[in-house]
Amino acid sequence: MRFLKTPGILKSQSFKHSWFRNLTIGIAFIFTFLLFSSIGILLFVLKPSEILSALFSEEMLYSMKLSMLTSSASTLSVICCSIPTAYALSRYSFPGKSLIKSILGLPMAFPELVMGLALLLLFGHGFLGPYLEALGIKVTFTKLGIVVAQFFVAFPYAVRVIYSTFEDINPRYEQVSRSFGYGEFETFRYVTLPMARSGLFASSVITFARCIGAFGAVLILAGGSYMHTEVLPVTLYLNISYGNLEMAITSGILLMGIAFLAIFSFERFEGGRL
Amino acid sequence: MSFLEVRDLCLDVGGFELSRIELKAEKGDYLTLIGPTGSGKSLFLETIIGFYRPEKGRIILEEKDITDLPPDKRQISIVYQDHMLFPHMDVFENIAYALRKKLRDKKQIEAEVKQIAGVLGIDELLHRKPATLSGGEKQRVALARSLIVRPKLLLLDEPFSALDARTREKLRDTLKKAISEYSTTVLHVTHDFEDVWALANRVVVIRKGEVMQAGDPESVFKRPSPDFVAEFLGTNVLKGKVKAFEGKLTVIEAEGLKIYSSDPAKPGEEVVVSIRPEEIILSRGTVESSARNTVKGKVLGIFKKEHLVVVEVKMGNAEIKAVITPTSCEMLGLEPGRETYAVFKASNARIIR
Ligand SMILES: Nc1ncnc2c1ncn2[C@@H]1O[C@H](COP(=O)(O)OP(=O)(O)O)[C@@H](O)[C@H]1O
Ligand SMILES: [Mg+2]
Repeated sequence: MRFLKTPGILKSQSFKHSWFRNLTIGIAFIFTFLLFSSIGILLFVLKPSEILSALFSEEMLYSMKLSMLTSSASTLSVICCSIPTAYALSRYSFPGKSLIKSILGLPMAFPELVMGLALLLLFGHGFLGPYLEALGIKVTFTKLGIVVAQFFVAFPYAVRVIYSTFEDINPRYEQVSRSFGYGEFETFRYVTLPMARSGLFASSVITFARCIGAFGAVLILAGGSYMHTEVLPVTLYLNISYGNLEMAITSGILLMGIAFLAIFSFERFEGGRL
Repeated sequence: MSFLEVRDLCLDVGGFELSRIELKAEKGDYLTLIGPTGSGKSLFLETIIGFYRPEKGRIILEEKDITDLPPDKRQISIVYQDHMLFPHMDVFENIAYALRKKLRDKKQIEAEVKQIAGVLGIDELLHRKPATLSGGEKQRVALARSLIVRPKLLLLDEPFSALDARTREKLRDTLKKAISEYSTTVLHVTHDFEDVWALANRVVVIRKGEVMQAGDPESVFKRPSPDFVAEFLGTNVLKGKVKAFEGKLTVIEAEGLKIYSSDPAKPGEEVVVSIRPEEIILSRGTVESSARNTVKGKVLGIFKKEHLVVVEVKMGNAEIKAVITPTSCEMLGLEPGRETYAVFKASNARIIR
């Protein structure tokens, strides 16, 4: 998200502040404070000893490990697929380009849960399921399903960030490289990719955060079963329904921590552009 | 057949088109392309180098049709106004990158880079990142990078536009030296007619995607095509010899006139003086003013050009154009045959060589 700095001239110069100014500032404070305190509460409900015992429980360790593994796998594949996608969208014109753009825009607006349902139908018995199973690949209610769900949740976001990175690189750099005898791929490899470095890093971080926090699609496609397809958000969900608050809150704290780290490094590397 | 031939080139980029461009250049030619902003000069260069594919027409370089070749197979280099140095490589890497496709041997590459760095005066900068260089230094590096591959054709797209006058002048000299050292044929897009005088042997005038006029600089500047109104064209060009240096002013005798210029020059030097038509004031008599030049002449002709009036005045052996408003034309009662005085400042009589 980008907060533009208001130029000095535009700021109210009257000494007596208007009610409108006070209202907008007031609202900004109230809701940011509510948000902040809700995050804070998460940290202070439990005693440290309770957090520690929840943290080192077998279930939590399993869930953490699975979350890290699946998110790493899906982040890697998301980045590998969104680099070419974003590059094609940014540099070439081809039939169907605007269609691809609007389809990639969809998941930002529609609920993850619906996405999960759609994926379940696609990889289930109706369509792709039987063919994949013939190849020995099972997606629904498996760990692979987690990766698939995370992939589709994060992919559109990654494409967007990488797309804007490529858009910011003047194509003339590539053209100059071509004129020295380098082919398209060589130019991409030696000029475009290195110049996109920080954007690629930022999008990896954001992708990882989205993957680890993905819940709705993961729950529906992979099933969310105890110590099998249980990732951190599923742990939170399962333990809430058992009334096991220590476990739920601890997984919440973990997810929060990861999100903060992600946002922090994203802002550091991309200067807060999104 | 010429070294470079562009035949009937048409390109449509949606909203703008290059139409039927014809151009020829011989080996070793230095062509300048001039024309107003948005007239398609950059598009034209980028079509020649192969970034755009023309709808129609042929580009022939050294007897070979290159119209359908990708840019990496054409051996043409380009330098842009904003240099396009790769920010993630240092100066040495930038220059060496250009050469890596031609040469494999590291020692040889290093030697070549050192040599061109010497020619362009950037020896000291080889291990700096482009972001730490000044505008002039960046352009030197960009020139080095483009020249080191010894391209068949070097394209320059307003390479000096972002620089101040002094840097521009220095760079022009360096460029001249480098071009002759690497014996390159050049197409140079510019807004600055001093580039034309200092560097070019041919000028091509482009407007709205069409070639309006082509020829050697002198003929194009002295007789700009009638429908061409670009502000830098039709400047008054007088050839002469420096007579003396009086106070802070150079005195030049040119085409039967005595002209004071505030640009320095050595007595005896052959120079060309340029006076822009809009910097000349016409008056009925001699007036007291700080302008050093007041020259008597006879009106030859008066033409309307858009909302202004161009007055041609015969002075000495020269025909000089002045641009004035319709109102002052009326107030002065100008008509062909009348006597008039042209007044202009010494600082507006620019010496170009
Ligand atoms: N890729 C493009 N697509 C569409 N229009 C373009 C493109 N590149 C340039 N133009 C348009 O073509 C015209 C000529 O541009 P350009 O060649 O850059 O002019 P110049 O270099 O003479 O100032 C401009 O009106 C510009 O907006
Ligand atoms: Mg241009």
